[in-house]
Amino acid sequence: MRREDKIVAEIRERLKEKIITVEVPRERRIFAYIKLEALKESIKFLKDMGFKHLSTITGVDMEDGIELIYHLALDGSIELSLRLKVQKDDPRVPTITDIIPGAVLYEREVHDMFGVNFEGHPDLSPLILPEKWPRNIYPLRKKYALERLRNLIFKEEDIE
Amino acid sequence: MSYGSTIKVPFGPQHPALKEPEHFLFKIDGDIIVNVKPRIGYNHRGIEKAFERRTYIQNIYLAERICGICSDAHTTCYVQAIEDLLGVEAPPRARYIRVIVAELERIHSHSLWLGIAAHEIGFDTLFMHLWRDREAVMDILELISGNRVHYAMNTIGGVRRDIVSETIPKVIGSLDFLEKRTKYYMKVLRSEPTVLKRTVDIGVLKPEDAVELCAVGPTLRASGVKNDVRRDDPYAAYDEIPFNIVTDDGCDVFSRILVRCGEILESINMIRYALDHMPSGMLRVRVPMVVKPGEAVSRVEAPRGELIHYVKSNGSTRPERYKVRSPTLANIPALCKMLIGQHVADIPIILAGIDPCFACMDRLVFVDVKTNKKKALDFESFRKIVRKRHELL
Repeated sequence: MRREDKIVAEIRERLKEKIITVEVPRERRIFAYIKLEALKESIKFLKDMGFKHLSTITGVDMEDGIELIYHLALDGSIELSLRLKVQKDDPRVPTITDIIPGAVLYEREVHDMFGVNFEGHPDLSPLILPEKWPRNIYPLRKKYALERLRNLIFKEEDIE
Repeated sequence: MSYGSTIKVPFGPQHPALKEPEHFLFKIDGDIIVNVKPRIGYNHRGIEKAFERRTYIQNIYLAERICGICSDAHTTCYVQAIEDLLGVEAPPRARYIRVIVAELERIHSHSLWLGIAAHEIGFDTLFMHLWRDREAVMDILELISGNRVHYAMNTIGGVRRDIVSETIPKVIGSLDFLEKRTKYYMKVLRSEPTVLKRTVDIGVLKPEDAVELCAVGPTLRASGVKNDVRRDDPYAAYDEIPFNIVTDDGCDVFSRILVRCGEILESINMIRYALDHMPSGMLRVRVPMVVKPGEAVSRVEAPRGELIHYVKSNGSTRPERYKVRSPTLANIPALCKMLIGQHVADIPIILAGIDPCFACMDRLVFVDVKTNKKKALDFESFRKIVRKRHELL
């Protein structure tokens, strides 16, 4: 039995109905789709299993919500992408900085770019966007096409 | 000794230690740093959004331009992600060429960093010598790829240029020179009191903190953690080439110097082995322009550490979403930890210690904030202004 399959079996056993899908597209890659409420519990037990390294958090703007993908690495080797979906209006998700302190900047990055609120995060002030960036405009969301963003900037800063 | 109150000292965006803009707000008590708050974003160019607007072929060259130092690491990571989506694999010779270029890039990046580290501690003679010798590896890269900065070696399905047999003796000759010089520099660095006084026990990062804060690359390995994507998650031809992972238990800036020197020597041996064992055969396989829906995670050990790209395709010629996380961003939380409790005078060398590359890290935003009049300009309106000015003249 491959290492990946053992991990998948363990995830299935631990999360049961909170898991939507798990797949192993190739060696050393696992994609798991979980329910929103299982996030903290999953990160905790994955960390105990050895997934201590958080590579990054990716946000993806989908039609029916915003997908968050937590890329976790086991001994630097197996990369598990833990995926969950949050709603688009007022997206909220608990922070994982209390479990993995290294997540602190990745959560802020997603907050800037997608407007996801990480509840319990120590400081969600802008990390990447300028201080004067208009509120409620999240550049990596699909509805903000480049042209639209440019116009917004023009209006905001009143360029002659 | 405490002065009873803390003072806030802004550092940057125009930074005394670095050539790129970044802002750190230090809270100091007397001469000791008690807290630090990083503010990044001054170099953001909106590259992730730009990926969504370009075709997969155009994106190779966009990925190349994320960084001017580890450009090859970014394209390798990019083409691997797309190859993964397409289900194709680069031919064996191409995989060896990718390793050779990646390791040459590591040598040049680490030499560059060693020079900067020497400069930060005021040892400019060493900086000049290191950068003179670095030209040897730059010349090899130019000989192989035709370019000094953006090598443009990778393409989806393989590489664009061969390493022909006539260039190999020149490469080997330069490697011998670099090996001799690197060994000499290691001797100098280990025995030179200036270096030791400024780097030993400075910017300490304990192994448990390094793991907790998700540090990567030489910063992590200098804290004694044996972690390297080349071994743990092998790509290109790394599973066929023997090499050692260089670590050090000192956890300070000096260890970071030793690890990078050690890695230069390892890279030299890897290139020698790869040149010796390079299989013959084709350089690339043809791939379709359209990529079927799917997603892939690609990882590469860039000179600064783990680089990760994520791609989601939608069945068209352009990606639906492209995400880049460069190693510098991963090392910022660890950097903040290293700085706390240190003297203000040691800020430059500690900052430089992670080998930060802000061009890599900042790649999302569109605003170029220009002058203190607080105007935001995009490229087109900027061009308009330039044109207008020329007309007036």
